[in-house]
Parts: sequence; C-alpha cells; structure tokens
Amino acid sequence: MPETTQFTGMGNESSGTASLKSNSVISNRYKIHSIIGSGGMGTVYLARDLNFTDVKRLVAVKEMQASTKDAAMRGSMIKNFRREANLLAQLNHSAIPRIFDIFEINDRAYLVMEYINGTDLEQLMQKTKELPIDKVLEWAIDLCDVLDYLHNQKPDPIIFRDMKPSNVMIDSLGKVRLIDFGIARTFVSHVKGTMIGTEGYSAPEQYKGDANPQSDIYSLGATLHHVLTRKDPRLEAPFTFHERPITNSNANVSDDFAKVVEKALQSNQSDRYATCAEMKLDLERVRLSLSGMVVAVPRPGAPAGAPSPTGQAGAAPASPTSFFDSEATGTIQPKWAFKTEDEIRSSAAASKDLAFVGSYDTNLWAIKQETGELAWKFPTRGGIASSPAIDDQSRTVVFGSEDFNLYAVDQRTGRNSWTFQTKGRIRSTPRIAHNVAFVGSDDFKVYAVNMSNGRQMWAYDMGAPVRTRPFVTNELIIAGCEAGDVVGITLSGARKWSYRTRKAVLASPYVDEEGNCYIGSTDGYMYALDVNNGFNSWRFRTNGAIYSSPVENRGLLYFGSTDSNLYCVNAENGREKWKFNAEKPIIGSPLIHKGEIFFGGTDQNLYCLDAENGRERWRFFTGGPITSAPVVAGNLLLIGSMDHVLYALPLVS
Amino acid sequence: MNWFRKLLQPTKSQSAQEKISAPSTADEPEATVAELKSESPALKVTEPAAESSAPLNGTHAQKSEPESGKDLSEVVADLDNLITEPEPEDGLEATSPQETVVLRMELDEEPQPPTHATAPLPSTGDLMISVVDGATRPLPQDAILEFSPLTHTAFGQATDVGRMRTNNQDSAFSFFASGRSVDDIPDFGLFIVADGMGGHQDGEKASAITTRTVASQVLNTMYLPMISRQNKNNDVPIAESLANATQKANIEIMSHVPEGGTTLSSVVIIGDRAYIAHVGDSRIYMFHHGILEKLTRDHSLVQRLIELDQITIEEAADHPQKNVLYRALGQNDVVEVDTLTRRLPPGAMLLLCSDGLWNQVSDSAISDVISHVHSPQEACQKLVAMANAAGGIDNVTVILLQIPG
Repeated sequence: MPETTQFTGMGNESSGTASLKSNSVISNRYKIHSIIGSGGMGTVYLARDLNFTDVKRLVAVKEMQASTKDAAMRGSMIKNFRREANLLAQLNHSAIPRIFDIFEINDRAYLVMEYINGTDLEQLMQKTKELPIDKVLEWAIDLCDVLDYLHNQKPDPIIFRDMKPSNVMIDSLGKVRLIDFGIARTFVSHVKGTMIGTEGYSAPEQYKGDANPQSDIYSLGATLHHVLTRKDPRLEAPFTFHERPITNSNANVSDDFAKVVEKALQSNQSDRYATCAEMKLDLERVRLSLSGMVVAVPRPGAPAGAPSPTGQAGAAPASPTSFFDSEATGTIQPKWAFKTEDEIRSSAAASKDLAFVGSYDTNLWAIKQETGELAWKFPTRGGIASSPAIDDQSRTVVFGSEDFNLYAVDQRTGRNSWTFQTKGRIRSTPRIAHNVAFVGSDDFKVYAVNMSNGRQMWAYDMGAPVRTRPFVTNELIIAGCEAGDVVGITLSGARKWSYRTRKAVLASPYVDEEGNCYIGSTDGYMYALDVNNGFNSWRFRTNGAIYSSPVENRGLLYFGSTDSNLYCVNAENGREKWKFNAEKPIIGSPLIHKGEIFFGGTDQNLYCLDAENGRERWRFFTGGPITSAPVVAGNLLLIGSMDHVLYALPLVS
Repeated sequence: MNWFRKLLQPTKSQSAQEKISAPSTADEPEATVAELKSESPALKVTEPAAESSAPLNGTHAQKSEPESGKDLSEVVADLDNLITEPEPEDGLEATSPQETVVLRMELDEEPQPPTHATAPLPSTGDLMISVVDGATRPLPQDAILEFSPLTHTAFGQATDVGRMRTNNQDSAFSFFASGRSVDDIPDFGLFIVADGMGGHQDGEKASAITTRTVASQVLNTMYLPMISRQNKNNDVPIAESLANATQKANIEIMSHVPEGGTTLSSVVIIGDRAYIAHVGDSRIYMFHHGILEKLTRDHSLVQRLIELDQITIEEAADHPQKNVLYRALGQNDVVEVDTLTRRLPPGAMLLLCSDGLWNQVSDSAISDVISHVHSPQEACQKLVAMANAAGGIDNVTVILLQIPG
C-alpha cells in the first residue's frame, strides 16, 4: 500500500500561502487564472494550458508547500510527492482525474491535473433540499466501481481513506469524480487538551490505524447515508448511523437501497460487504427493481388469515392441541373461544383453573380454563366494563358494573359475598391490596372497601369520574381522573400530592420498583412522576391520546397510543427505544411475558412482539377491535374482543 | 398490622375541601439567591468567607499559580494537613440543625481550606418528629427504630489545577438545602462539575459561565418555586428544566466565549431522587453496597470505540484521541443533553468528577477511598491528592455526596 503525501484539499479549511498571482505563467506553460481552493498544505489554481493555443484548455494546478524548514525533511517530502504522482499518473479510470504534469519550483511542488468543472456533494447538499434517488443510486454504483478499481491495483491495493461528500465531485455531465487523494491522512494527536469534533465518515478500525478496502466501503456508506438522510455524521455521535434509519428521514428511499447502505455501515468489518464489487452488484439489483424489472421481495409479517370464532356461548368446543402453525398460514389457533352475548371491553382475570371476564351483556362469566366450558355466570343490572380482580384470601372475584355496584363473588360457586353501592357507574377496575378493595366510580370518588365485609373505609373525592384502576404501594394509592388529575392518596384516605395533566386520565397508573409513577394521559403524554411527591421527572410525547396503561419491565416502559404505535421507552430518561406501528389506534394495554410483549389493537389483531427490539413474532386476528389487555392463565393467553368472544391462545414456549 | 388498620381510617380533613386545583405557575419569581437570603429568615445561607468573592453572577476570581516550587510529598502533606486541620470557618456553627442551606461555589480557584459542609447531626430528640399521625408519610412502627441518626445528605467538594497546567479550567458548584416542617418540602440539592476546554482563558470562562448559568436557572425555576410552593403543577418536567438550563448555558458560551467549550455533569436532588443532566466526559458515579456504578456515558470517541468492541478500556487509556469529544457545550447552537433519573438508596454516595480524576485514579482506588474515609470532604481532598500524586497532568475536580443510610 503506497504511502502518499497529502494533497491539498478543495475544502475551505485554513488557507495555505498562495505564491502565484493571477495572470502569471508558471513553467512557461500554465497561465494562472484564479484560486479555486486552498487547504493545509497548499493551494489549487485554475490555469490555462498555453500549449494549446487554439482551444481554451483549462487545468487544475495544485501547489504544495512543504510545511517544514528542515532541508532533509523537505527533500523526503518532495520525493514522496513524486512517487505518488507517478502512481496516480498510471491510474486510468473515468472517475479519477488525469494527471498531466509534475514539476518543482523553489521548493514548491506542482501537480497539473484535469480540471473538473462541477460541484462537490457537500456543496450540492447545501444548494438542494433533496437529490433524486435514482441519481444518488447511479453515483453510488459509480463510486463502488472506482473504489473497486483502486482496491484491485497491483501489487498493493490503493485505499482511498477519505471518502466523504466533499471529495466527490459531480461534473458538468452529472458523473462522479473522486478528488483529493489525501492518502496519508493521519489523525492529529491532541494529547494536551480535550478537543471537540470527529471525522464523521471514517470506519471504526481507522481509529486503530487500520485502513483497508472495507474501511472505504464504510466511508462510502457514511457518505450515502448523509446524502440520503441529510443528517451530517460530523454532528452526531460517531458510528451511530443505525440509530438514524434512512427510510425514517427519507420515504423515497426503497428498503432495498437502505439495506445496502446499512450493510456497508456495519461496525464489524466482517458484517460489511467483502468487496466494492459485491456492493455494486447489490446496488445494481436495486436499480433493476426501481425500474420495475424485478419483482418485489416478499415482505414478512403479512396479515394472518382470520380464524373463525368457533365458540358458542356456554359451550365452546375445545380443539385438542394447536400450536403455532407457522409453516402453513402463519396463524395461531385458539385452544378455545368463548362467546358472550355482547362486546368484551375489559380484560379477563384468572384463578387457578377458571377464567373470569365481564361482558357488556351485564354478566360476569366464569369459564373453565381446561375446556373453555362455562362454570357459572353472575348477572348484574348494567354493562360490565370493569375488569375483575382476583382475591385469593377471600377466594372471591371483585368487579364493578355500570349498575353502580361493586360485587364480590365467590370464585367457585358464583355466589355473591357482598355488594357495595356507589353513586355512579363503575368502569374502574378494582385493586385489592392490604385486604382492601380500592376502586373508582363515575361519582368522582375513589373508595376503600373492606374486603371482609364490603363496608366502606373511606372515600376520596377526585372531582371528576374515576375510571382508572388505582395503583397501591405500601404507602400510597395512586389514581387518575377525567379532569386530568393524578393524586397520591395516603392509606388513610388523605391527599399526599397531586399532579395535573392537560386532559382526562383514563389509563391506569403504574409504579415501578424505582418509585417512578407512570401516567398516560389523553393529552398525548406519558409522564414519569416521583411516587413520593408527584414531582415530574420526564414526559414523553406521542401523537395521539394515551388510553393504554403502561407496564415496566427491565428498565423499559411499554404502552400504546391512539397514534397507532406501541412505544418502548427507556424508563430512566423517557427516550424512545423503539415503536411498533399497528396501523390503527391502540387502546388496550400491553402485557409482558417472558421477553415477549402482547397487546391488542383496534385493528382487531392481537400482536406478539419481541420486547427487546419490537419485531413482530406473530399476530392473531379476532373478529372485532380489542380494547382490553391480554392476560396469562397458566399456559393460555386470554384476550377478549369486541366481537363478544374471549379467546384462549396456547402460549408457545 | 395494627398501624395499617389505623391508617386506613378516614382522616377528618380530606375529600371535598381538598380541591384539586392547578395554581398558576406561569410567572416564575425573579428572585435571586441574594433575595432568598434576605426574604427567608428561616433559611440561613452560609457562604464561606474565602469564597464570598465569587458570587453567583460575578466574575471569577484571580487565576491560580502552579505549585511549581513544591515537590509531590509536600503537596500531599499540605493536603493532609488541610484535611486534619480543625474547622476554622465561622458561620457554619451558627447554622441551625433544623434548617440548613449551604452554598458553596468555586470557580478557577486554588483549593480552598476545607469547609466542612456536612450538615450537623440533629439530636436524637428530633427524630421522632418525622413520624406523627397519618398526616405525614406513614411508616410502620418498627421503621421508627430503624431511622438513621444521619438525616441530612452530606457533601464535600475539592478542585485543583494539578501539577502540569497553569490554570484550572474546571468549575464546580454545590448547593444543598434541607428543612423540616409541616410543609414537608423535600430536600433539594444541586451539584455541578464542568471541565472547560479551549485556548487562552476560554476554557475556564466557558466552564464558569456554565456553572453560573445552570445554577441560577435551576435555583430560579426549581428551587425557589418549590420553597414558595408555586410549583404544585409545574408544567415542565425536571429533566426538561435541567436540559433547558444546560441549553441556556450552551447559548451563553456560544455568544460570550465562541472559542471555548466545556463538559457538564450536573445533578439535582429532590427528596431521595437524583435527576442528572450530562454532556461530555466528566462523570457521575453512584457508590452503593461496595459497587461503583458509572451513571453517565462519556461523549468521547474512545468510549464509542469501546462500545463497538473496537478497542479495550486499556487501549482507550493510551489512545492518541482519548480526549476527542463528540459532544460538548459551546460546540453547536443546540446541544443534545443526556438526562436520567435514579432513586438514591439509603447509604448511597454520588461522585461527580472531571476526567482529571478518572484518567488518573482507578475505579477500585476511588471505591477504596470513599468507602473508608470519614467525611465526604476528606474523601474529596484525598482523591485530588491521589490524582496529583499520579502525575497531576490535568485539572481535577471532585464532588461527593453521602446519602443518609
């Protein structure tokens, strides 16, 4: 690999000392016209070649000045320069400017080369808002071609080392030309003081002093990424291109094109293209597909076929076994499906062997987990939109109804243990803790009801209907209301703190082990509050209302929004980790189970995603929008849908 | 479980009269810390005499001279003397154990004689006040017995020019307020370390502007509204306020010291929670159960290379570009700020430091010092001495907070 002296850049960096005046003639041949660029080691002039008397032949004259006064050093620099110039003179590629002449005058070295009338990509980006994708693709292919040509030089490959937008010229014919073979670009060491700024386009291994053909591939990827996204890598953290997906900032770029660039930008060399020729081949495929000559690649995650809800009310046929039928249709078959007489708006709950679900048909249904058969049903006088809560101590299931009552019913028999009447419809799901049921009502109150006898212990007036499920810690009850307030209530029913969001709070609060209290509001924000005092540490904005109650797991917070996204947010700082678009608003709350996240959408699907990265594992189509949360019962996943049916899906391990 | 049953009984003063309302918080008081001093007689502001020449918005004090004449052992001996010297400062003794505000600020100064910022320990008689009836934070009966005698966060702060540089470009700021009343205002603290960079005096100016701007912003938008009880429903989350204050400091640097830049590691303490804002390669660590955990992420090239498994931590220490940052204040019009919030468990310590410490003193040595030294101030002095003993090639700044445990 030849070591070469640095040629002057065309950039507008610090100016060298130009020795030539306009209209002066150098080497009896080149009449200086103007300065077209200057850099650390010299100046580039535009000049006319006087040997061509009849035509106006323009050339670029690079003037290089040795930066040292030491004669020996200067001699060696000149020697290096000559060696390089000879090497470059042998290159013959349409994208590499031709070398015409070299000479030295007064300890300055001159390189006469083809003048390229054009604009470099950096300037082009400043002048335009967006470049045509097919043009960029064309340039990318040509750049692969010229880099491949350099890398295949014998005996040693030539590494360009400094691929970046300002070194790529687009000439008057719209063709790419590589300029500035700044090969010996070593990084200046600043041991003495901290400095700011990075190279932006260089591959990680170049910072170890290792430059190879794949480093050029990385830098080409970085250059294309900058051109396509218009996000300058010099202003971003180094090696973070993958955090700025190309298709996010530029919808015109096809997935295939983006994938090629992203492969070139892999941190590990072995994950990149092995050669520029390989990368060029892939880019040519993208070009073919753009011109419609290649069929589109099949996309993963195609909507699953709809299984017909087979369950009948009270008598659901249990299919013996059914597992993820991924080979054939990509659908999952429910173990059983139980049809109620109206919409299921709330989540199910499970005891050891029964599943409980309230329906808008006014009944609470108890279903045998094993067979999907009816165990019993408990009728109320209003629709049930409140999810049941299981209390193992009293062996009751507790739920509210729109008939204003909170019911405690024996899990085995369905016999009523006690009834507690409020003055409004109950749509809040009760929370049982400390042998007390905490529940909100449309009569504005949060009630504490003694589980032993169904008597009221206290009521706290929230000033607006309470439809959220209270969260209970060792010290506080947290509840949200329709006015947008969230209140921390002491166990004795007094206010400790309150926090006001801008619109109704309909999603239930969640408190994690760090004492972060998460509140979703229909104002679109997810708030993180200190559970001790209500101080707001961060908020995260979605583009819709939040009805979906958050859950936290391993420092990550998951929730849906009516902007159709399921969000995964870092709990420490409220930064988005990933989001998944379900295409229709998400009202239901997610469930986390063994590294997977389950949630239902109003698009009628139940989704299963990888909790780490948000990639879809499977989806299950129900016959109606889903507004509730899935629940795990043994090896079953229970989900109710507005199609009246409670589905029990086998959990695939 | 008797306490529990009792707590579940309704209290008389609740529900209807406790209307949930959002008092207007749009107008933030223009009060400064100076006003705070005069208007809040209950709070005593103590500024150590030696530092009173550096008011919040004043110019920084004269530059320090390198200690060229002394050899290393003398320096260390001097520091040891400082550590063991009896407390010479006035003012602190007058501070009441019930209401304590300690304000210290150091900008480009010689290491100050230690002013033990440790809040005085209250007598045991005070302890019971914290647990009364259901009106305050209810604690189980046995928790009363576990109540620790150290009820206030204690902190120390030390900075030094080092043994190679001629000026100290680091700036530090410490503020901690703790009160006890029925108002139940949580403890509040603000701690900042900024490491300036740039030629001439640009670096020291940039870090000074930063600490001063962030301090006045945070105190004005967070602390003053809190003690005047105006932030019940503060619109701006704490992480955003802190990021905004950092952004403001960034703009101040851009306009006043265009050639300068600085790192910034800051932490706001409210109650038992730490809110951190961070840019650059100064660091904040949490020390708990013998483990030193780095909470911040260096915005440096080598850190990125480590994260990508391109180089090892050992290689990073010798890397020619180990001082290259990709993010700092004073670099662009908009600075991206890392924020995070963490609960501070009882007995935990928070350490803020410039790279002058972590480049010179190993994590295990740092852990060793802070787990064995008696006071945070003593630990800070010792850590600075150790950085100097290891060569002192850079300015070094250390702040250590000790959470009661």
